[in-house]
Amino acid sequence: MNIALVTDSTADLPPEVVERYRIQVVPNIIIIDGKSFEEGPGITRREFYKRMPTFQTYPTTSTASVGTYQNIYEGLLQQGAEQVLSIHVSGRLSGIFNAASTAAEAFGERVKVVDSGQITLGMGFQVLSAAEAIARGADLETALKIIDGVQRRVLVIAMLDTLEYVALSGRVSWARARIGNLLRIKPFIKVKDGDVMRWGDVRTRRKGIERLKEMVRDLGDLERFAVLHSNAKTDAQRILQELDIKIPTTPLVVNVTTVIGLHVSPNGLGFAAVTI
Amino acid sequence: MLSDSQIEAQQELFSKNPIDGQVLKILVEAALTWLRTNQELVNSLNVFPVPDGDTGTNMVLTMQAAYDEISNSPEQNFGIMAHGVANGALMGARGNSGVILSQLWRGIARAVDEDKYLDASSLARALAYGRDTAYKGVVRPVEGTILTVAKDSAAAAEEALGETDNVVEMLARIVVAADESVQRTPDLLPVLKDAGVVDSGGMGLFYIFDGMLRHINGLPLDTSLATVQPLAVMSLDNAMEAIEPGQDFEVVVDFRPDNSLDLNNFYGKLEDIGTSIQVGEGDGFYRMHIHVPTEKLYDPIEYTRTLGVVTKVAIENLIAQMEDAGEDGSDAELPLVPVEAGQIAVVTVAPGNGIARVFASLGVAAIVSGGQTMNPSTQEIIQSFENLPTNQVIILPNNKNIYMAAKSAAELTVKQVAVIPSRTVPQGLSAMLRMVPDGDFDNIVEEMNEALDDVETGEITYATRDVEIDGVECNEGQYIALSNGKLVLSASTLEEACQGLLENVSADEYELITLFSGSDVSGQDVIRITDSIRAAYPEQEIEVQEGGQPHYHFIIAIE
Repeated sequence: MNIALVTDSTADLPPEVVERYRIQVVPNIIIIDGKSFEEGPGITRREFYKRMPTFQTYPTTSTASVGTYQNIYEGLLQQGAEQVLSIHVSGRLSGIFNAASTAAEAFGERVKVVDSGQITLGMGFQVLSAAEAIARGADLETALKIIDGVQRRVLVIAMLDTLEYVALSGRVSWARARIGNLLRIKPFIKVKDGDVMRWGDVRTRRKGIERLKEMVRDLGDLERFAVLHSNAKTDAQRILQELDIKIPTTPLVVNVTTVIGLHVSPNGLGFAAVTI
Repeated sequence: MLSDSQIEAQQELFSKNPIDGQVLKILVEAALTWLRTNQELVNSLNVFPVPDGDTGTNMVLTMQAAYDEISNSPEQNFGIMAHGVANGALMGARGNSGVILSQLWRGIARAVDEDKYLDASSLARALAYGRDTAYKGVVRPVEGTILTVAKDSAAAAEEALGETDNVVEMLARIVVAADESVQRTPDLLPVLKDAGVVDSGGMGLFYIFDGMLRHINGLPLDTSLATVQPLAVMSLDNAMEAIEPGQDFEVVVDFRPDNSLDLNNFYGKLEDIGTSIQVGEGDGFYRMHIHVPTEKLYDPIEYTRTLGVVTKVAIENLIAQMEDAGEDGSDAELPLVPVEAGQIAVVTVAPGNGIARVFASLGVAAIVSGGQTMNPSTQEIIQSFENLPTNQVIILPNNKNIYMAAKSAAELTVKQVAVIPSRTVPQGLSAMLRMVPDGDFDNIVEEMNEALDDVETGEITYATRDVEIDGVECNEGQYIALSNGKLVLSASTLEEACQGLLENVSADEYELITLFSGSDVSGQDVIRITDSIRAAYPEQEIEVQEGGQPHYHFIIAIE
């Protein structure tokens, strides 16, 4: 069975994984001062964070169109795929799932669109698990079961440097209410079942890093793990080193993609973990 | 003063007649009156030379609530009346001593259950039960406190039981034992010895027993043997009654008439002066309460002076009180986050408006005002969360003296309530940060408990008397700094105290210093001190918030 895998750029999969499993990654679009850029090919993370202070207006994001998804599905099917499995960022956070689902309607059973209920590696690990299974010869039904299993065991938690950006993103209702907060805080967020929730706050980065590490340790044995950061590589690497995680797969350190970085602010730190 | 024969008659009355519910009521009132008379004295027995939770005030308010509960009750049954006392004490309990006192009453009430009368053996049993209940109510009982005095009193009662079946005789022995026990408290608790005081809560308990005995013996209850104190705290409820236009002041006069008082004539005269007239008759003295316009402020005093000896006068400005209450109690103005059913609600105690605002901005569901000098009662805490549309409540007392009242509140409700033992405002804020309204209750409670250690607390206040504690010498009026509740230094300037404290906790090893300025500090001082801290700690972030707390010039969070 030849199954093609599609996801979008918020999956934050490392390029070598994308290449090895021939995963089609649909870039999201970021609009900076009136100009549109495709994530990745159009503007690198490094360039984005470097230019961030000079942005005149708060950048906005956009998804690939229904037409783009339709073209991609059609191309993959024409190139010999019998089925397409398209896994996307939580429908509660983005319109990508809707766009992809609408595009898929024209292909009936041949294209299956999945709401990962997650973002960044929380979704990426689902895609990766499916890719590995398909490479071993799994059929669509099995791949879907695997995705479902990972989805239930995956967790994304992050400490943001400030609440401001999440509030501006308009994607999280509580953030706006909390911006009137009088104390300087570093909010924690947790992504689970498609939603971004508050997960308590800390007041200093040092305490926040300790708390992140403690949370990881509390999870027990892990199947997959990634330290996430928004342009804070040094801290992220140190966290991974200090955690000294023993897992069957290689732990990752991932600078989250720009559309997420934009919504969580630079200097964010977090992790994505799949428990056993 | 009663004559000897009158005293004998009174003693006879208590010795010979069975002690029923109505006698208990009289004894509770006597205990309350005597405790109130000595309230300031008990308050002054502070280990720390800081304006601390006032034990005397807390115990009086607790006893007042106990008495209010039964004051109009015609109940004859001793046991049932005791349950009323226990219930009132529990609901009105404030501060640690108040809560322990309420536990004593609870044990006493259980022991006498529905006994019609109190006799010597049931008194001994009641005190033993009271002692047991009080000890159980404390996580780590400390000797040399009110608990020890309760224990020694119970022991004296048990010992007396073999020798007398006379309740008055037994009470007399209890009073002696309580007095001796209080005097021994410094031997059991070194902090008391260092501070040169006896335990305040234990002293309060002594006054309760002693007040009962004094009444039986016909001794006056309105004059402290130690010092003449200003009239005890007027019940704020009374002061808050509707104010008629023009009646700006409340005047309360205690006096001892030379001749028997013609009440009708007395009332008639008072009606010419003011309104809301109440006259209470005590042991050969009267307490007169009246509302008057400003220009007649001194008339009631002048008038009562013509009738006899005025012993105490209290004047309160009602308008100002109303305004204060309006400012303080204005939780409604704070942007409290509405709680939904099924969510977790946090209730916090805040000692100042600014601190209340910060807590509100962090998402607390209710705020109880109170702190060092005014500990909220169990009932006030319960009221704050009772009407919230959720069953899951977390309380942040933010003060060690409020912890027990919060614990009682937790026990007295059907809601699921957890009390986080936050001892300071910074600890409470640190815990509050971990709050997730939709989180798992037990997890959040655990996280909040862990968060208490995330912050160091500094407090800058002034010494209320000369003392040496933990090797730190300070003179009355000097600034003193407390680090996590421990006295670390005294200084002659505010700036010195702040800088000394930060140095003491090695603030240079931390990231963030947050200053909550008190109501006693001027804006200029805040700016000057903040600047000096910024200069001394260039690597640290410095944040300043208006805390508005009384007595404490600065509360400092170092994290």
